[in-house]
Amino acid sequence: MNGGPALEARDLTIKFGDFTAVDGVTFSVERGEIFGFLGANGAGKTTTIRTLCGLLVPTRGEARVGGLDFSDGGRGIKGKVGYMSQKFTLYNDLTVGENLDFAAGLRKLDPAYARRRREELFSLIAFDRPLSTMVSSLPGGVKQELSLAAAMLHDPEIVFLDEPTAGVSPASRARFWELIREVTGLGKTVLVTTHYMDEAEQCGRIALMRTGKLIALDSPAGLKSAAFPGPMVELDFGGPAPATALEGLGRAPGLLELSPHGMRWHAAFAGGREMEAALAGLPAGTGRREIPPSLEDVFIRLVEGAER
Amino acid sequence: MTFFDPRRAAAVARKEVMHILRDPFTLVLVLGLPVVLVVFFGFAIDFDVKNLRLGVYDRDNTRHSRQVASVFESSGYFLPEGASSPADAARGLDSGRYSAALLIEPGFGRDLGRGAPARVQFIVDGTDNSKAQAVLGYLPGITSAALRKTGAPAAADPVPLATRYMYNPELNSRWFVIPGLAVIIIGLLSILMTALTVAREWENGSMELLLSTPLRPAEIIAGKIAPYVLLVLGGVFFVNLVARLGFGVPFRGSHPLFLSGTLLFALACLSQGIVISVITRQQQLAMQLSMISGLLPSLLLSGFIFPVESMPPFFRYFTMILSPRWFMEAARGITIRGAGAADLALPLLALCGLCALLLAAAFRKFKTDLEP
Repeated sequence: MNGGPALEARDLTIKFGDFTAVDGVTFSVERGEIFGFLGANGAGKTTTIRTLCGLLVPTRGEARVGGLDFSDGGRGIKGKVGYMSQKFTLYNDLTVGENLDFAAGLRKLDPAYARRRREELFSLIAFDRPLSTMVSSLPGGVKQELSLAAAMLHDPEIVFLDEPTAGVSPASRARFWELIREVTGLGKTVLVTTHYMDEAEQCGRIALMRTGKLIALDSPAGLKSAAFPGPMVELDFGGPAPATALEGLGRAPGLLELSPHGMRWHAAFAGGREMEAALAGLPAGTGRREIPPSLEDVFIRLVEGAER
Repeated sequence: MTFFDPRRAAAVARKEVMHILRDPFTLVLVLGLPVVLVVFFGFAIDFDVKNLRLGVYDRDNTRHSRQVASVFESSGYFLPEGASSPADAARGLDSGRYSAALLIEPGFGRDLGRGAPARVQFIVDGTDNSKAQAVLGYLPGITSAALRKTGAPAAADPVPLATRYMYNPELNSRWFVIPGLAVIIIGLLSILMTALTVAREWENGSMELLLSTPLRPAEIIAGKIAPYVLLVLGGVFFVNLVARLGFGVPFRGSHPLFLSGTLLFALACLSQGIVISVITRQQQLAMQLSMISGLLPSLLLSGFIFPVESMPPFFRYFTMILSPRWFMEAARGITIRGAGAADLALPLLALCGLCALLLAAAFRKFKTDLEP
């Protein structure tokens, strides 16, 4: 490697017939970074990842992955990356050992090297069951960790994870993210898509996608301060919010965002003075608490706000 | 840059073997089912018609006429019963009590003794035409036996026609049915096996895993077909064992030739399965398509029961794209006639061609699907 970015995409566009799944996306990912894709279903996250893995060739634009382009149909790229798809891709009717042997065979790994990698990865994911364990008998979280090990058997520079924690328990999710941090600690670059805001918070940078377009790209903190330069309060009306109060708030000058969160409401303002002026008109006894904006607020403002 | 890496294909094949070993159902299906079906059908399908009830109305009732009736009985094909009148015999045919009726008018013995044309009437129930044809097929033999027995002058036939059935002198229909049945069962199973394997990868999502590696379509196809070729050869071995030991079907040709023919046929069917699998991507649909495309044409149009020569021209030409039609010809030729490679050049070449065509189709379709 020449020390350049792990991955670059410029004006990346992928069309399926008339449908544009990814539309002119440009970004670059540094080595050792955890780069997240956040967006609703159909926003183009998976298509972007599949393209960068060499599974699809861009309709327009350029991408370089691990310093390689698509001139060979993505074959070179496939050798440099590891990909864990949304669906569970290991074979349930085979044992752990057989699955990993198959993954090694597809990559033509030397058996001794494959064995060594297997031991390394087992200690990474703290897998201590016998190799003869049937994959079908493993719990969901362990299966996901094993999928990760299979995707990393050939020691790829870049690892793509497409919703790796979909459908596993919260404890397993937390453990998996620890694993992701450990993987980047080894100098790998990780690109990950997710639906979970708490997971997105753990990314170094987040690419926010909507209908195939990249609408924001920054660190979680950067996204928050860009979306909400002023303060944000959580309002508790002690029950359903009175319509008049909401109407008044909605008309207040300097209001950036007003959204319901359960029984409470989040209101964001351009500055402190605007906030004080707007909140003065609320009924007495309304609970208010200044809060830092969450990524969910950012998501609502940038993604859903654009749809209104 | 290479276009095919045997090591990657071998990895796919090894994995496929694991799947087969884990799922004994597949093993039993391929190794056991053909044997069971051959045994089952070997006993059930018998085109030799025997023990037919024959209504005999003998108005002549002379030594000669009784001799004629007894020849029918001693042939083993008929069970004669006396009918009281021609109308009684006709009623017997109507009710299905008789399959055929023999009516001998008065004067039969007298005419026979004089050397004049002596006439008998033979009526066959034509409802079941294969049975009727079988019955009519027995008649010349019975007539000549009757003539010999009654001592009538045989001068009536100026050109004596001596018929001899080659290769299957007794016209034992099992010799004909069992090799053909094996072709159909093996063909169907081969198509079914591979039709499910690729569709399964799509349904499980494991195709994504395969695609994210540098694996090529040709390597997947080769790796998927290889284990099933061996499995199918195993099935063929057992079927032949049962055919020979259980039913006494002869094997007169060359074993290597039969093996190569089987290999070609298995490859063609397995490729057909892959084509189906690649197109459908769903196990359910793949299963239905392979049942239809694997069973119907081979049952009806391969010459298994109905000779290809007597089909209408369209179907006669249509059968040429069916691998079972060619292997049917080759398999029967090798086992029963002992035909050699030169005799079977056309069917073997056709099998080669079909095999290449199907493999190419599977490869092309797969390639456009998988390679971006």
